[in-house]
Amino acid sequence: MKRVLTFFGAPGVMLARTVRASLREGVPWRETLAQVHALGGRSVWLVMSGMAFFGAVLVTIANAQAKKLIGNVAVLGPAYFEMLVRELGPAVSALLTAARAGASHSAELSTMSVNEQVEALEMSAGDPYADLVAPRVLAGVVGVPMLCVLGTVAATLSAVVVASLAFDIDGRAFMDARYVDGWDVLVAVLKAVGCGLYIPLAAAVAGLKARGGAEAVGEATTDGVVAASLGCLLIDLTVSLAFQFVRL
Amino acid sequence: MAAPVSSAALAWLGRSVLGAVEGVGALALVAGRTAWALPRLERRELARGLVQFGYGSLPLALATAAMAGVIVVVQAGIYIQRFGARAFLGWAAGYGVLWEFGPLLLGLIMSARIGARNAAELATLKVGGQIEGLRGIGLDPFALLVAPRVVAMEVSMLALSTFTFLVAILCEAVAAKLTLNLPLRVFFGTFADMLSPFDIVGGVVKTGAFGLAISLVSTAVGLRAKGGARAVGEAAASAVVLGCAAIFLLDFLLTTLLSRWS
Repeated sequence: MKRVLTFFGAPGVMLARTVRASLREGVPWRETLAQVHALGGRSVWLVMSGMAFFGAVLVTIANAQAKKLIGNVAVLGPAYFEMLVRELGPAVSALLTAARAGASHSAELSTMSVNEQVEALEMSAGDPYADLVAPRVLAGVVGVPMLCVLGTVAATLSAVVVASLAFDIDGRAFMDARYVDGWDVLVAVLKAVGCGLYIPLAAAVAGLKARGGAEAVGEATTDGVVAASLGCLLIDLTVSLAFQFVRL
Repeated sequence: MAAPVSSAALAWLGRSVLGAVEGVGALALVAGRTAWALPRLERRELARGLVQFGYGSLPLALATAAMAGVIVVVQAGIYIQRFGARAFLGWAAGYGVLWEFGPLLLGLIMSARIGARNAAELATLKVGGQIEGLRGIGLDPFALLVAPRVVAMEVSMLALSTFTFLVAILCEAVAAKLTLNLPLRVFFGTFADMLSPFDIVGGVVKTGAFGLAISLVSTAVGLRAKGGARAVGEAAASAVVLGCAAIFLLDFLLTTLLSRWS
């Protein structure tokens, strides 16, 4: 029970402190840009290749199912595109980002904690929340939605190519935006922004707690990745189910 | 002015190919030496690995399973809403989780959790010169460090796969009831009718292959680390990325192979 409370509470407290500190101290913009590059720019390849693969898998499954039922999967293309935009695109892109960015954030911050650099920053009138956590959180809120867009595009294109080349069906049906409306886009944006906010916070909680030596860095890295991934899964589930219930 | 550009491109290509060959070689070397060290593996390390990799990953694995189940229901729900093919959901859900989404998501999550940790631990030992220390006193680091991790990972993945499949299917049934109003009886009825035991075997084979890939890639990356504290962080990050890449590749190969077979 205590662990559950900590899991949900600690990032919330971290967010409150970060917001308060950044309002008081201001946010270092240059550092924020560097973090956007570190989180976004360096995860682009992983997210795009992962999502391209995911799109191919999705088409393979759809084809297998359609063969049992109706024969041609192209009829379902628009429905699949809606699902990709609304559910799978943001969810899987955010998960891949959580693995990479969560690991690197918590490793960086825990190394700083272990080497007492965080205390040194406080001694020199810096604020760890405003100077270290806030740029990463902003980078997450900006970067994860961008990565989700790129990932969804990659998945769609790969689905089209695989359908056309491997299964001899008109793959262009998979990029038909007939069923996509504002609600789908809203769900996707909510998921992406939620995950983008949560990943750096969870990694920061794990990273700034680290005390000890190299062993502690390893522990903190694992904890950060686990918390970030689990948080993303829960956010996606909550948003999806909430919108399913009100039938939007 | 094309000359410098093309030579730079050629140099990059050459470096990439050499890197790839070197990587495959290192992987083969680690696999071979691990197999060689299997009879002499350290039992206590194996027990520790089993607790860390298997029991410690349970919460995350179960959350992943729930996510996979909901994804598949949402995906198969398209057919239900368009064609009213309610009897088909059980099969579609089972097939999706057992064959694709279950193993794939479990593999990615475990690659992030265990791969990063393995690589970071071994890289710390390597950078600190402790691996050479072991060799110096006549101990085989593969028997002490690598083989127990590989075996523990394999056992954990197979055990976790069974759990995740069960949880995923239960979550699917509940999600189908909540979102599509499909009675549980219908769901499990079609489930039993349209799935064969081979489908379960396919999922287990895939998960086992992913487990082997993750443990071998992460230990190979960790053992190749050179430098200081930065190398440890880089090893952790590249273990995650390479592990994911290996999983994608294996998934593609196994899907094509196993679907030929069935």
